[in-house]
Amino acid sequence: MASAVADRAWRQSTPERIEPDLAALWRDLARPDQPIARAVMSNLVVFCSPTDADHADAGAITVPLGLNDVAALHPSRLIVLEHEPGRRTPDAPFAAGVGIITFGPPHARYGVELIVVRSACAEASLPSIVRRFVRGDLPTTVWWTEDLSTTSPLDALVTMGRQLLYDSRRWDDLRRGVSALAPLVAGRRVDLADLNWRRLSPLRQALEHAAGPAGSTSRHEVTVRIVHRRGEAALAWLLAASLLATRDHAAGAAPEIEESQDDDAVLSVVIRHGTGETTATLTSHSVVVAQGSAPPFVVGVPIASEGDAVAAELRTLSHDSRLDDAIDALARWFAVA
Amino acid sequence: MTIVIFGGNGDLAHRKLLPALYNLHVDGLLPPRIAIAGVGRKDTPDAAYREFAKDGITKFSRRPIDEQAWQTFAAMLFFVKASLDGEQVLAPLGARLDIIEHERGLPGDRIYYFALPPALFVPTVKQLDRARFVNRTGDPVARLIVEKPIGRDLDSARAVNDAIAGVFDERQIYRIDHYLGKETVQNILVMRFANSIFEPLFNQKYVDHVQITVAEEEGVGTRAGYYEQAGALRDMVQNHMLQLVALVAMEPPHALDADVIRDEKLEVLESLRPIEGAAIDANVVRAQYAAGFDLGKPVPGYREEQGVDPCSRTETFVALQIFIDNWRWAGVPFFLRTGKRLPKRASEISVHLKEVPPILFNANPAARLDPNVLSVRIQPDEGFSLGISSKLPGPHVRVYPVKMDFHYGSTFGGSSPEAYERLLLDVIAGDPTLFMRRDAVEAAWRWVMPILERWAETTTDSLPAYPAGDWGPVEAGQLVESTGRRWRAL
Repeated sequence: MASAVADRAWRQSTPERIEPDLAALWRDLARPDQPIARAVMSNLVVFCSPTDADHADAGAITVPLGLNDVAALHPSRLIVLEHEPGRRTPDAPFAAGVGIITFGPPHARYGVELIVVRSACAEASLPSIVRRFVRGDLPTTVWWTEDLSTTSPLDALVTMGRQLLYDSRRWDDLRRGVSALAPLVAGRRVDLADLNWRRLSPLRQALEHAAGPAGSTSRHEVTVRIVHRRGEAALAWLLAASLLATRDHAAGAAPEIEESQDDDAVLSVVIRHGTGETTATLTSHSVVVAQGSAPPFVVGVPIASEGDAVAAELRTLSHDSRLDDAIDALARWFAVA
Repeated sequence: MTIVIFGGNGDLAHRKLLPALYNLHVDGLLPPRIAIAGVGRKDTPDAAYREFAKDGITKFSRRPIDEQAWQTFAAMLFFVKASLDGEQVLAPLGARLDIIEHERGLPGDRIYYFALPPALFVPTVKQLDRARFVNRTGDPVARLIVEKPIGRDLDSARAVNDAIAGVFDERQIYRIDHYLGKETVQNILVMRFANSIFEPLFNQKYVDHVQITVAEEEGVGTRAGYYEQAGALRDMVQNHMLQLVALVAMEPPHALDADVIRDEKLEVLESLRPIEGAAIDANVVRAQYAAGFDLGKPVPGYREEQGVDPCSRTETFVALQIFIDNWRWAGVPFFLRTGKRLPKRASEISVHLKEVPPILFNANPAARLDPNVLSVRIQPDEGFSLGISSKLPGPHVRVYPVKMDFHYGSTFGGSSPEAYERLLLDVIAGDPTLFMRRDAVEAAWRWVMPILERWAETTTDSLPAYPAGDWGPVEAGQLVESTGRRWRAL
């Protein structure tokens, strides 16, 4: 459970005045009887499209993006880049604002820094903008809040971070989303973190448990059939890829994936291997796995907000090679299909 | 006390000195009886000089101007026209100062501030001598503040020092390095010697290496005339950075006495391993910025800047690996880098402690733990932090690097005094602790001379370049990486 925001200090700034204005906000917040600590464990560069909203206060930016929860759970320097892609002229950001989100009781306050810059410039300009504001000695995550199947990740920006965070659930076009990520996977240039993939964790773990130690090395032909709820196609394909990617499957052995008409389960999967069959169903609160005549087993699904999930990914410093393998498998299937 | 600022209507007075004096006045730290006289070639009425000062304070003071405080401050300000060409040219200045001091009941104690181009130091000090402004007995007080650079090599530094020493006694001379007036720089000694946790670690047994970075985001701007003759080694390393090395590496002084502290700093400078001959190429990297970006905007390369020779070989970036050959620091590399048009303005000293053994939590060779790093942020974002490894909350043992962070702004609130405030106050009080002594200045020059001489001889090879907005040339990265380390990202 994230701590509640105690206060938000905010001031309009200019790109050149961001650091001095932040320093001034800290000085304003510091009181001899109520100390405040600066909390920062990483940089979170939040890429989003420009909004029409007038940034009258920090809440106008943090609430729609769910940044308060993220800041409470994993205090990060929040750098919101409202960027209009597609421009060819290099230029400085045209507007900026700074804020400090404070948490904790009066005797133990801590604050998280927020920087907002609005830019409409060539991609080549972005590294010098982002480099100015990140704390280089901390891990940096770029959170692509846009649908990256329609707004392709900007290479110059994404590769500045250690980690690219996105949510494939937002994808309009699965193939384009996969194709946008494929070069990053091929070059191992950045750690990928997909919030949708994270939702699959309980199901993947349950299936691994069901398969047992021999599961991953089985030489049997495996077929996979997945039925998913409307809007969960990406989840279904990711599951299929995770099941088949490590089995050295031929391109032609793509899984059967269908959209369900009822909304009970997020998705269900039937895996046939040799004479055996495993069925698993993912709902919002559990995973139920059935295998042959054995009684089914149930695994709980943690209740997690988007803020919880983002914070958990920020804490992950290791490379998720299974996600890479899944994307690589999807890219190969889509290339053939 | 009368503060006489030669170059009183120049940029330094406008941006730094007058705002600093104003803030000292607002804080009630100036002596009750004081006059401030700007001296320059232009005929400037007192009223116009006060407007000049007010403009500088409005634009550059750390606090907004207070009309009441300003009125009392303005009454202390005067301007005197003076030329340095000819004999006895300062006689009118002396006469005017005598009148001001008489009217204000001042005893004739004076501080002479040379906010002048270095070429004018010697002529001006000679004029002060001719006009009999200086009394070596100390009664009345006569002190001299000299801005860096003191010379542009060892010989010229000695010449300047000799000329000054012909008029002022060493204890009357305050060679200013504004870095030493910064709160965070002063805090280095407090951090080291007022905390039992750090000092025992500051030696070759526990420290793997030290990095010092002084990064500027600006290009050469309007200073091409000066910078073309100086370069990063003279402009930053010979003075600021070697002073920082001395503060980090010095032995504990036995007293907080100016000369005791300065003796210890000198020891460090004299223990620097000379870099000579081929070792220079292996341990020193120089480079120039090429065209690139500054906060998104395209900016020209150094050679395209106004006032810069298109074939210039002046370095805008320098990185060095240096060693201090004494018992405490034997074998510990100190990596220094400074440059213009780097991604951000940042000055930091980081002390990198040795790795924990490759067992337990550090057993995975593919995911080594970050060694502990103590970083002192000099500017901006003043403070220091200690990077440590911590267990992430949860059922599994996962280690995450976290920082214990002390941040001046959020801890103390208010704005810290500017370096010039502290330094001016020290001169008024007669405390030279934070100023450079002649022997230290010359020791620093002596150490950099082989590098300057080799560079002067090597005029044919191409100078490495780095795009503006980047952290320097690849060669700088290789300098550190060849030792199995890497530059700390800032």
